[in-house]
Amino acid sequence: MDRRDFVRNMCLGGIATFGFPTVSFAHIRQPGRLVFVLLRGGFDGLAAVVPYGDPSYRSLRGALAFDTSDVNALDDTFGLAPGLAPLRAFWDDDELVVLHAMAIPWRTRSHFDGQAILETGLDRPIGASDGWLNRLLQVMPGDRSGIAIAAGMPRSMVGSHAVQTWSPAQLGVVSDEYLERLASLYRADGTLHGPFEAALQQQDAVGEEAMAGGGARRGGITPLMRAAARILRQDTGPNVAAVEFSGWDTHANQGLAGGALDRLLGQLAEGLVAFRTEMETAWRDTTVVVMTEFGRTARPNGTRGTDHGTAGAGFVIGPRIARSAVLSDWPGLGGSALYEGRDLKPTLDTRAVLKGAIAATFDLTATQADRVFPDSAGVRGLYDMMG
Amino acid sequence: MDVALHALNRFGLGARIGERSGMTDPRGWVLDQLRRPPPLLAPDRLAGADPFAALREVRAAQAAGDMAALARARRGMTRIVAAEMEAALTRRLETDAPVLERLVSFWSNHLCVSSAGKVVVTALAGAYEREAIRPHVLGRFEDMVLASASHPAMLTYLDNAQSIGPRSRAAQQRRPGAQRAVRGLNENYARELLELHTLGVDGGYTQQDVQELARVLTGWTVAGLPGRARAGDDNLRFAFEPLLHEPGAKVVLGVRYAEAGIEEGRRAIRDLCRHPATGRFIGHKLVRHFIADEPPQAAVDAVARVFTDTEGDLRATVAALVERTEAWNGVERKFRTPQDWVVAVLRALDAGRAATLPAQLRQLRHPLWSPPAPNGFGDTTREWADPDSLLNRAELARTIARRMPPGFDPRTLLDVVETTAADPLRSVLADARISVDERISLAVAAPAFQWR
Repeated sequence: MDRRDFVRNMCLGGIATFGFPTVSFAHIRQPGRLVFVLLRGGFDGLAAVVPYGDPSYRSLRGALAFDTSDVNALDDTFGLAPGLAPLRAFWDDDELVVLHAMAIPWRTRSHFDGQAILETGLDRPIGASDGWLNRLLQVMPGDRSGIAIAAGMPRSMVGSHAVQTWSPAQLGVVSDEYLERLASLYRADGTLHGPFEAALQQQDAVGEEAMAGGGARRGGITPLMRAAARILRQDTGPNVAAVEFSGWDTHANQGLAGGALDRLLGQLAEGLVAFRTEMETAWRDTTVVVMTEFGRTARPNGTRGTDHGTAGAGFVIGPRIARSAVLSDWPGLGGSALYEGRDLKPTLDTRAVLKGAIAATFDLTATQADRVFPDSAGVRGLYDMMG
Repeated sequence: MDVALHALNRFGLGARIGERSGMTDPRGWVLDQLRRPPPLLAPDRLAGADPFAALREVRAAQAAGDMAALARARRGMTRIVAAEMEAALTRRLETDAPVLERLVSFWSNHLCVSSAGKVVVTALAGAYEREAIRPHVLGRFEDMVLASASHPAMLTYLDNAQSIGPRSRAAQQRRPGAQRAVRGLNENYARELLELHTLGVDGGYTQQDVQELARVLTGWTVAGLPGRARAGDDNLRFAFEPLLHEPGAKVVLGVRYAEAGIEEGRRAIRDLCRHPATGRFIGHKLVRHFIADEPPQAAVDAVARVFTDTEGDLRATVAALVERTEAWNGVERKFRTPQDWVVAVLRALDAGRAATLPAQLRQLRHPLWSPPAPNGFGDTTREWADPDSLLNRAELARTIARRMPPGFDPRTLLDVVETTAADPLRSVLADARISVDERISLAVAAPAFQWR
């Protein structure tokens, strides 16, 4: 008996032990899949989605301005940084919405406040509150589940709906008898028994193949995104996944084509493309949202990097979008257009984008989407963005 | 609740078998350690190797373009980094003053650098803990923050070494058409100094304060970084470089700092450390770390008051924490972080092998001196008790137990964890049908061992 067989048996045994019939006919398996990719550290939207057509771009960005020939143009104003060129595959298939001048609804240049706002889905920092992905699981219909593909439980997933976690660590092969005995010990611990059993079930889905190849960052995020796809593409796989990717806090030497940030962008793009491939047919129900806690200063700082700023860029990817487009009420980069004279000015609320994405992916009403993002009724969801 | 066991696990690094029975005054056991000298770790534990010298060799080889010398220098540096980690982890496994090592970990994480990125920080993270943290864990908070602010590891990690006053002489004197672009202000360190090291994110500072503090700290740099070298002055130690310093008065949090070179930064850091918001922030963090994920407000207030009244006397502050009844009521549990769990396992089994620990800590996603961001690692159940982490511990427990010598009685491990008479662990550990090494694994992977 290998570990997966054991888990399967344990699950069946678990149902039998509860001893009451499951009323399953009322529960329709939710087909939608939403992957929330959080770029922790403050992703430089102006370096990723380059406003090369803005008349102030070159003078403002100075040493960090791309040559136009390096930019993969999407229209007359915006183009993708060289590292993001693989995203062109989504663009050409009408699967890529690029968002710009987007920001969380609370003005902060703190990583930790910014991530808290983005992950709780609220409009102000509040001590202990659920994550919006967990709230989404609470609100959406059908049989559904969530998973954090992350080191630990991200804030976005915290809440009353039970959520699994998974990451590609491997510390040794253990026997099923051992795990079974351990599971019986964990049943006596009110706090830990839930997570422990979830771990065993998750192990079943990924299999050993995904564990090979070491940590996610060594070869970029591609191995991690592939493993995530293997978990999500199953018929009964999780509907909501949180993935995170750090290293975006580029205070110094960001570089241009082929530079430090551009290589990181390359890893991101490659991981997203690999994810689509690995999702196979389940891709048709999948939406991927890529966001960060804040953009960075519009001008380079004194060390050829950028400091913490305000608005930035993001992406919504998947077949459920209406058509490829750059969605932005572009404020411009002229001196007086900058927020506090230094940052790209926010003209789009992250929650408007997220509401549009979840509504289309899970067939939610606007009222349901508003419940996922409390106090956001005044912020109209970008429902037209999605098909 | 066994009070001796509580002291050993809650405030220490985990009980050894038999240790609790010899303890007559658990609270005194904790407080006595606070009266010892600071828990220094002499560099002779590194067999004479000097990380600064190793780093200088790497840079010299790079400058000379000598690839063979560079490879040799890098290997030397890798050996020193390994030796630094082994020395620090051996101390955790062997110390008889574990409370002090807990404090070293706490403050090292509070004022963290991360060896995961820049090579200078990789080389110097161990030296940073030895030089900036250890001497001060029983001393004054502002001395620790000043030591951190002026350590090459921190100056590099949060970029202050590269920050240049826009109106400094260096910026003014740069000839037009010079090869290198004129660099300028970098506010990374100034922001984290306010947000993470002293006042806390709700401490009432503005963007203007961040920039002013960054200006105050211009010139705090590292001797020998590119563009900072003066003849014979490339030892990679802290240097205040007046040429880089932004001239004129600055105002931080409403306090005016007249132009005073390096003294401006010293004054500003002292003022930040003595600010009431800093007391509240540190009080909250200490109580959360040692008492409860949701810190009781009365305990936070009491600890913060001692911190503020004594102008950051850390010995007195920690003593106040230990004296709180909430620390001893047995109601609150704290979940062991991965580092604390594996150290507790190895102390209980007396099976420490510090050399293999760094790799295991990476796999447990709690690598030594490598937090993912400047806010350090978390210390709450929510952050660590996720499914995958529990499975990682279960797997590592098997690996460790298989190394145990024959003749070890798994039931003796009941001496180091709090269990009730009805805990199923008791019967499992006595079950002779299960192999000895599997029973050892079960004991240390069991829920009882995850809490302290």
